[in-house]
Amino acid sequence: MSRYRIPGMGRVDPAAPVSFTFDGRRYTGLRGDTVASALLANGVHLMGRSFKYHRPRGPVSAGSEEPNALIGTSRGPGRFEPNTRATVQELRQGLVTESQNKFPSLKFDIGAVNDRAYMLFSAGFYYKTFMWPRSFWDKVYEPFIRAAAGLGKSPTEVDPDEYASRYLHTDVLVIGGGASGIAAALVAARSGARVVLVDENAEMGGSLLSDPSVRIDGRGSWAWLAEQLSQLRAAGVRLMTRTTAIGYYHQNFVGLCERLTDHLDQPPHGAPRERMWRVRAEQVVLAQGALEKPLVFDGNDRPGVMLAGSAQTYLNRYGVKVGDCAAVVTSHDSAYYTAFDLVDAGGRVAVIADTRDQVRPDLVEAARRRGIQLLTGHTVTTTYGRLRIKGVRVNPVKGGQVGAGRKIACDTLLMSGGWTPSLHLFSHTKGSLTWDADSRTFLPNHKTEACQIAGAGRGLWGYGPVIEDGVKAGLAAAEALGRTGTAFGAGVEGDRPGTGVSQKELPTDLSAGKAKAFVDYQNDVTAKDIRLAVREGMRSIEHVKRYTTNGMATDQGKMSNINGLMIAADALGKQPPQVGLTTFRPPYTPTSFGAFAGYHKGATFELTRKTPIDPWAEAQGAVFEPVSLWRRAWYFPKGGEDMHAAVARECRATRASVGMFDASTLGKIEVAGPDAVEFMNRMYTNPWTKLAPGRCRYGLLLGEDGFIRDDGVIGRLSQDLFHVTTTTGGAARVLNMMEDYLQTEWPDLNVWLTSTTEQWSTVAVNGPNARKVLEPLVEGLDMSDANFPHMSVAECTVAGLPARLFRISFTGELGFEINVPARHGLALWKAIHEAGRAYDICPYGTESMHVLRAEKGYIIVGQDTDGTVTPQDAGLDWAIGKAKKDFVGKRSLQRPDIVAPNRKQLVGLLTEDGTRLEEGAQIVLDPNQKTPMTMAGHVTSSYDSVALGRPIAMAVITGGHNRMGETVHIPMPNGTIRAKVTSTNFYDPEGERLKA
Amino acid sequence: MTTQRHDFNAQPFLLEELPPVGRFSLRVRPGQREALAAALGLELPTAIGQRSSAGQTEVLCLGPDEWAILTAEAERDALVAAGAAAYAQIPHSLVEVSDREITLRLSGAQALTALTAVCPRDIDAIPVGRGARTLFDSATVLLWRDGPQDFRMDVWRSFLPHVRAILDKITVELKSGL
Amino acid sequence: MLLINCPYCEATLPELEFAYAGEAHIDRPADPSALSDEEWRDFLFIRTNARGPHFERWRHIHGCGRFFNAVRDTVSDRFLMTYKAGEARPVLNALEAAE
Ligand SMILES: [Zn+2]
Repeated sequence: MSRYRIPGMGRVDPAAPVSFTFDGRRYTGLRGDTVASALLANGVHLMGRSFKYHRPRGPVSAGSEEPNALIGTSRGPGRFEPNTRATVQELRQGLVTESQNKFPSLKFDIGAVNDRAYMLFSAGFYYKTFMWPRSFWDKVYEPFIRAAAGLGKSPTEVDPDEYASRYLHTDVLVIGGGASGIAAALVAARSGARVVLVDENAEMGGSLLSDPSVRIDGRGSWAWLAEQLSQLRAAGVRLMTRTTAIGYYHQNFVGLCERLTDHLDQPPHGAPRERMWRVRAEQVVLAQGALEKPLVFDGNDRPGVMLAGSAQTYLNRYGVKVGDCAAVVTSHDSAYYTAFDLVDAGGRVAVIADTRDQVRPDLVEAARRRGIQLLTGHTVTTTYGRLRIKGVRVNPVKGGQVGAGRKIACDTLLMSGGWTPSLHLFSHTKGSLTWDADSRTFLPNHKTEACQIAGAGRGLWGYGPVIEDGVKAGLAAAEALGRTGTAFGAGVEGDRPGTGVSQKELPTDLSAGKAKAFVDYQNDVTAKDIRLAVREGMRSIEHVKRYTTNGMATDQGKMSNINGLMIAADALGKQPPQVGLTTFRPPYTPTSFGAFAGYHKGATFELTRKTPIDPWAEAQGAVFEPVSLWRRAWYFPKGGEDMHAAVARECRATRASVGMFDASTLGKIEVAGPDAVEFMNRMYTNPWTKLAPGRCRYGLLLGEDGFIRDDGVIGRLSQDLFHVTTTTGGAARVLNMMEDYLQTEWPDLNVWLTSTTEQWSTVAVNGPNARKVLEPLVEGLDMSDANFPHMSVAECTVAGLPARLFRISFTGELGFEINVPARHGLALWKAIHEAGRAYDICPYGTESMHVLRAEKGYIIVGQDTDGTVTPQDAGLDWAIGKAKKDFVGKRSLQRPDIVAPNRKQLVGLLTEDGTRLEEGAQIVLDPNQKTPMTMAGHVTSSYDSVALGRPIAMAVITGGHNRMGETVHIPMPNGTIRAKVTSTNFYDPEGERLKA
Repeated sequence: MTTQRHDFNAQPFLLEELPPVGRFSLRVRPGQREALAAALGLELPTAIGQRSSAGQTEVLCLGPDEWAILTAEAERDALVAAGAAAYAQIPHSLVEVSDREITLRLSGAQALTALTAVCPRDIDAIPVGRGARTLFDSATVLLWRDGPQDFRMDVWRSFLPHVRAILDKITVELKSGL
Repeated sequence: MLLINCPYCEATLPELEFAYAGEAHIDRPADPSALSDEEWRDFLFIRTNARGPHFERWRHIHGCGRFFNAVRDTVSDRFLMTYKAGEARPVLNALEAAE
């Protein structure tokens, strides 16, 4: 048995030892321990070094609010986590833990020199200390800060764990499984409501677990607790432990992070580490209790200084005595119960120093009976010891004067500065708080959500009142649901009521500059820092917070907020409510990225759409690129080709003979109905009325602002039926835009839209031999140029499959696009590939498609346009139906800034020295002008063109259409490149090849 | 195409990819719904989420003027013909989308739980015999509830690999028992 | 994540099924060519940017697919009501009183 473990106490299992290491040394704890309780049982308080001053630190709490005892934990290969709270991590066999922020060792740390340089690190040190000289930044200040600051090391390996998610819809969500939460859940469940009760701890019970001496309904509190839990189960309540409510969002949406495996010796195969629950509840009951506050005095951070309530938890819940001889300093009654429990368990309490002059007589009597020295009207002015507290100096305070101090030896100092209702989640909802002058704390006031607050969260104290309040909350939740709850009472014997006062820093006889009285342990903020911030002009608590970093660490000031406020208010000469409180934000406690990601890691990181032809491309070794949500074959390398060689080969083959391309991702919309043509006339710039069935047209879609939104070839299949194609990335957006106009502007039109993107699989066949490849496969259509000219569409059979065949081209070559029902897409592809063997048909990817279209000057919306390009800018005036009275965007084409001269216009660029330009490179007209130069445009597309034997580029340039033949300049890091402005139609400008 | 079955005793739910069927998206003005229904020989329910069936044909109301129709493949031509015959009198849109979607069936003890892993809507609030267009993770799906633990999910073809990969993860998770 | 009542589905559903679609009750002019540059500019770009109740459009994009209108308080982020496209703009006072 470990030195500080008390046999027969606690809820740990003495028959189940658990072995673990801390900084390489092996320790044994018990099943049910946390790392902190197990180390304390072994007499280890020193668990880390502080953030800024590298001061030795031990656990100050026993829960998730812990600011000090942050350790690195390793649960096996790749499973290292920094900044784990030792007070939360449950012990598991073989757990490897280490202290942080120390070099070379925890007991001797060089960084502790910062502690000597205390004056240097005062409030605002980030803002002023390192301001000057400028040259010191890179070489001195930044490396120093980076080395000195920060806590644990980031993990370097990919997280091997899985994470899960779950949506849950329920009537009542009760957050906090203490006495009031249990009562609320029971009442609500018995009214017939669906109830979920969550608690962040390993077991339900809250402070009941630390108060076994209290008797409820004639039973010990633990027996009562067990009975209530079985009642809750019987009533169908879903009980979730190790589950932290991390955020409370609109309309009773609450995020819960459930920890599933970190505590298990052998997690079951495939078990996720954590699960994020997204809960929607009709009613929320916040029963989160209260958090104990430290007292602020010099040396209040030494290992061995701990919250009194936490020492009581270690004693009663874990059977661990935190030291051999405790001193207690308090401004609240609750610390007396800790002292009593310690003495009753055989421990020693050297003194209770109470800052108050008057103490409840029964507490005085109970202390006297146990032989505890009680000093009322006293303050603590310092502590002694380095790696562990050795003593405390207490001084009487009379009429505001601090009297002579005396040293009292102790190895633990248990403090209580009173309790702060845990209202973090309530604050997430923008629920307002009100200052309670009696308890000197903030209590919940106006609610914005359908929630109840119960128990210590409302400032109540003692099990009797807290259970009664939980019952009330359960009744209120039931009533709000239209149900009738039934109240129950609980007779509490030996209850532990209590009151106290809130303090600023304790009165001291030390000079103000010397005292290191910590307010925020995690960020090493002292009372002096807060007063300095006020002296230097910070008036708002938000400014004080940011200047000092008080409350900005990962614990979000759970312990420091109110103490910081009390000191700031005092320094400002105001009442605390006038100074206000900073905002709590989610998450309540640090939460892993994995929990947020859920299933979205690795291959399912994001949704990836695949075409029916994708498996063939994969088998051929295609390299893929993401295009919106799709993955598309980028190029098909052969025999060790790099991208450049593969693309050159694919382009050459297509222009020389024939190439094939998977165009299945193109958006497709069926526009059907008697008013289809009217709708098309209104949506697209082009005229559609005279387009005959069986013919196609390039369609251009603008936004109402006149800028290009999308384009694509549109076929008219019959009088009332159009087959619209969109860009791959634009498919959903275009359909949404069309539906918007149809539903809200023109609901009178008899036309309907259906997405058929995925109904059809599309193969494009391009090149001078395209017809020769297809003709043998096509039935029911005369494919001759005379019967089926460029820009035709027909329904026929291809390779025995029902097809919509388009004669269109995005390459400038003779081209066809064959659409077949998607289940046949792969079969069609293979049939064409087979039929094309005689012509050395070449599958090509999106990169070659881009090159081939750029050689023809065909734009890619979103690459050559950017949401500020009009049809005129892009040289597409010809696509505008000038005779049409109206279409989406038409009026904007007359806007003053759109008809203004010198808009950026799309042109071609040919570099003089044959270098390939960078896409995105900026263009200037005069390379000799002073910097910053006036930029005249930028390169939108740039490729090596095999067909032209040189690089080509497209660019938008101010007044570009009037600059044909001019030379422009592209400044690059290695010199300025000269380029000639040309047409964008680089290849076969007469379009002869299309007519083949 | 054969039905793919993933059937192990320890499976928390059975996942099947059902064979292809005829699928149509039907649109018509609410005022002409009844006339069209008569012409097609179908009941077109008016409440979104409501279903009807006749023989092997099933209808799900998706919007105030939108229905999904599933038919046996053998019956698709007859439906198309009936629509074409009625078109002049009752303008409407009947677009075949048989290949747009693939149907997964989820059934078994934890089918509902599996859906709640990634569906934000309260799936258990969908009554047996109804359906909904909703979200499964980031994919829009048609969800048909055929029994308390019996669902069909029509997924757009290209989304299927992702949907299945997520369901595989959920299967492993549920099998772990945690 | 908000809950939004779709007036077509007559159901209150998670925001993830919906997409925001800009301010409501901005009708496209019947004859845009009749508008002055300033009037057209206002139609295109000028929005109320309300602090408080805001008339806006949403689409039940992963559900029934319908566009509809909503009044949402931009301070509390609370929906005061939703109603079908084409229905008249509701009177604010009554809504605020009910809130
Ligand atoms: Zn809807």
